[in-house]
Amino acid sequence: MKLKEGSFLWYLYLDKLYCLLSVRNVKALVDYFHLLDVHRKNTLNDVLFYHFLHHVTNLTRTQINIVFNMLDWSAVGEIGFDQFYMLVCILLAQENRLEERFIFRHSRPVFELLDVDGELRVGAANFHMYNFLFNIKRQALRELYHDFDITGDRCLNYKEFKLFTIFFMDKYQERQKAEKEKALLEKKRSRQVNVSQKKSLLGINGSESRI
Amino acid sequence: MEEKPFKALAKSSGRQGSSKSSPHSDIRKLWTTATLSQPKVNVALSSVCDDSEASSVGGNTRRWYNQKAGRHSDIGWEDSEDGEDKDSFRQEELDGHSLLELQLHGGSSLGSHLEEGDDDARTETERSSSMSSLNFSKHTHHRAYWVEQQSRLPLPLTELMENEALEILTKALQSYRSGIGRDHFLTKQLQRHIEGLKRRRNKRLHVSVH
Repeated sequence: MKLKEGSFLWYLYLDKLYCLLSVRNVKALVDYFHLLDVHRKNTLNDVLFYHFLHHVTNLTRTQINIVFNMLDWSAVGEIGFDQFYMLVCILLAQENRLEERFIFRHSRPVFELLDVDGELRVGAANFHMYNFLFNIKRQALRELYHDFDITGDRCLNYKEFKLFTIFFMDKYQERQKAEKEKALLEKKRSRQVNVSQKKSLLGINGSESRI
Repeated sequence: MEEKPFKALAKSSGRQGSSKSSPHSDIRKLWTTATLSQPKVNVALSSVCDDSEASSVGGNTRRWYNQKAGRHSDIGWEDSEDGEDKDSFRQEELDGHSLLELQLHGGSSLGSHLEEGDDDARTETERSSSMSSLNFSKHTHHRAYWVEQQSRLPLPLTELMENEALEILTKALQSYRSGIGRDHFLTKQLQRHIEGLKRRRNKRLHVSVH
C-alpha cells in the first residue's frame, strides 16, 4: 500500500514513538472529514469512502471494500470519524514503516479490528485478509500462530495477541539496531577508504614534487 | 529514547524525507513536528495546560469500541505494559476527545456551512488567520508552542485539502449519478456541496489576487 505523494494525508505527521497525531493534525483531519461528509451525518458512506481511499492510496477496489467492512463493524453502511481517524493512523504508520510499533502501541484497537466476528479471537484467515494493512509477512504470520497460539485453538485471544505484539516489537527494535550498526560500519569504511585515497594521492604528489 | 530538543520550526516532517524535492515541500514546514515524543518542551506550564498535546487512536475509538461492550474480558493485562505505554494510556484519558467532539458537532469546521452561503465570513477568517501570524514576533520565547496553538490551518494546506476533496467528490458524484440517478436527493445534495466548494475556492482566489 502506498499513500499518494502530495495528498493531504501525506502532509500529516504521525508521532514516531506513540503512533498518534497531534491535536492540531487531528483538527485538520476533522476539517477534511467534514469536507467529505456531504450528507451532514458525521459519517462517510461506502461510495464516498471508496473514492476517498482510491484517491489517496493505491488500494484495489476489493481491498477498499475489505477495509470498509472491517471499520463498519456494526454494519450500518457508514463509518464515523473515529474509524476514519483509526484508518488514517494505520495508513500513516504503514507509510512511515511503523507497523510493528503501531500494533504494539495500539494492540487493543488493532485486535478488535481484526476480530471481525466479535468472538474475542482472531483466526489466521482474518489476519491474512488484513495483511496488506499491517504488512506482516507470511512467514511471520506462520510463526505467530505456531509460537503464540498457547491455547491451541488455531486462534489468538487478546493475551496471545499482546504477547505477539511484544515479540514483534522486539524483533523490530533488533532489526533497527542492526540497520544502525550496519550504517555506522559503512560510514567507517567509507571514511577509511577516503583517508587511504588521500594518503595515496599525497604520496603521488610528493613523489611528483620531488621529481 | 527518541527525545530531542524542541526544534519545531526548524524540523520538517522526517518521514517523507526532506531530501525529496516536492512542489509542496514548503507546506510541511508550516506544521510543527513537536509531538508526544518531545516531552521537554521549552514552554511555560500554565500555557501548556490550556490544551492537551495529543489524542489517541485508542482514546478516539473508545466510544466505538465500547459498542462492543463485554468483549474486554482481560483488561488486567494492560497493567503489565511498560512505563511508556502507561503514559500513553494516561494521555488517552486526558486526550482531546471532548475537543474533537466539539469540532465534530460544532459549526467551526471547514465543511460545515458550505451550503449556507457564509463564504465571505470564512474568507475573512482565513485572511485574519494569515494576519495573526504577524504577531509571532511578540512570542519569540514560546514561538514553537505559539505556532502549535494557532488553531487555523495554514492557507496552502486548506487549499490543498479543498482541492483534493473536490476531486474526490466529483468522482463520487459520477458514481451517484450512475448508481442512484441524477434526480435523487443525495445526488443533488452532493452536487450542491461541490458547487459550494467551488464557489469558496473561487472567492479565495479572487481575494488572493487583490
